[in-house]
Amino acid sequence: MSRFRVLVVEDDPDMSGLLTRMIGAEGMAAEAVADGDAALLHAMTSPPDLILLDVILPGTDGFTLCQRLKQEPATAMVPVVLVTALDDQESRVRGIRAGADDFLSKPVQREELMARVQTLRRLHEVRRELEERRLAAEVSRKEALRKAFVRYISPRLAERIIAEIEDEGTPFQRGAQRASVVALFADLRGFTRLAETTEVADLVGLLNEYFALITEAAYRHDGTIFNMAGDSLLVGFNVPFAQPDAAARACRAARDMAKSVEVLQTGVGFGMAAGDAIIGNVGSPHYMNYTIIGDAVNVAARLVELARPGELLVSSAALKAAGECAAGAQPRGQIALRGRREPVDVYAVRL
Amino acid sequence: MDERSLKVTVDRDLEDLIPVFLQNRRKELDTLRVALASADFEQLRQLGHRMKGVGHSYGFDHVSTLGKHIEDGARSGDRALLEATILEYADYLAKVQISYE
Repeated sequence: MSRFRVLVVEDDPDMSGLLTRMIGAEGMAAEAVADGDAALLHAMTSPPDLILLDVILPGTDGFTLCQRLKQEPATAMVPVVLVTALDDQESRVRGIRAGADDFLSKPVQREELMARVQTLRRLHEVRRELEERRLAAEVSRKEALRKAFVRYISPRLAERIIAEIEDEGTPFQRGAQRASVVALFADLRGFTRLAETTEVADLVGLLNEYFALITEAAYRHDGTIFNMAGDSLLVGFNVPFAQPDAAARACRAARDMAKSVEVLQTGVGFGMAAGDAIIGNVGSPHYMNYTIIGDAVNVAARLVELARPGELLVSSAALKAAGECAAGAQPRGQIALRGRREPVDVYAVRL
Repeated sequence: MDERSLKVTVDRDLEDLIPVFLQNRRKELDTLRVALASADFEQLRQLGHRMKGVGHSYGFDHVSTLGKHIEDGARSGDRALLEATILEYADYLAKVQISYE
């Protein structure tokens, strides 16, 4: 542990020399300055562990200096001992008002000086230890939160949520909310047939690799994973945080996913739609999902069923918003989707 | 002056500070004389106040006692008391005996 540092603020060289000598003799480091302005500069640039402050000083006086030190974040916690004449009751009252932590009488008694310094030193050490423990607890709490969040969202979004947590609370604990979203489904083509012909161990290995690749790709574009079932993955954009370029992000994520899974030598189809949805925790107290429900999700789910390997099917609204990423999209005409009265204009993007 | 007040015991680890301390007291004595000659009672009060604080802190209790007399004399404008005290201070500084423990 570093040496306990005491700053002596005293304009009388005899008193200053005596105080620094007595403090040094107890194994502490003592530095001395002779006026208030130098003391403020010293304390702000290199905050000591304790300040012994004479009341009568050239320039800024001891009371004003004490008040300043207690107002500045860098020095507010540094204990200040005001050195006053024994019979000077008025100075002591002013000192208390200025935030002084203790008083030392002039003439200085060595035993009294050391008793006061040692008491404040112990207090300072306890305070520092408590602060260190509080910081360690805060770090482990944030780490636990981060671990919980990265199951749902990209690590970058998790960091942002943790950073904003004290202002806003956690998005996952809020009640359900309605928001404009972009839903992107990815689905492995030919999985049902594959499942019938492949050994269980190989199939699970393939699925794990597939999900690892497309999840990482989704996170690279700050998508939020809402569902993973069978061989399909549902990724939401513009939730839980606003992403003005949500459709373009979703399109780029689809391209990235398609490229990532090339190594598996199996095709993946994609469906994407934009619209209002309800987002929130749905389930029972024992089992809960952070879920997205709404027309955009239903449309994207139907589109992915129709998508060929390496193809992204997009509703017209999402296509316009996707911009450059979806350039060269081919119209597939109006497609009637199950559960919808109106047919949907669908476009196909080759990935 | 009481003979006992001429004997001062100082902590061994402060020994090397004492020559400078005494040198400063002698300078202080000169300043007191000049201040008295010019009837600068405010400076006399400040010097007395400093003596009061520093004397006892170093173990020189009599310096503090004399400092109090100077502070009081300056406040009340008592020239006779100030003159007598400054004379006693000069005598004290000439005769003080210091031992280290």
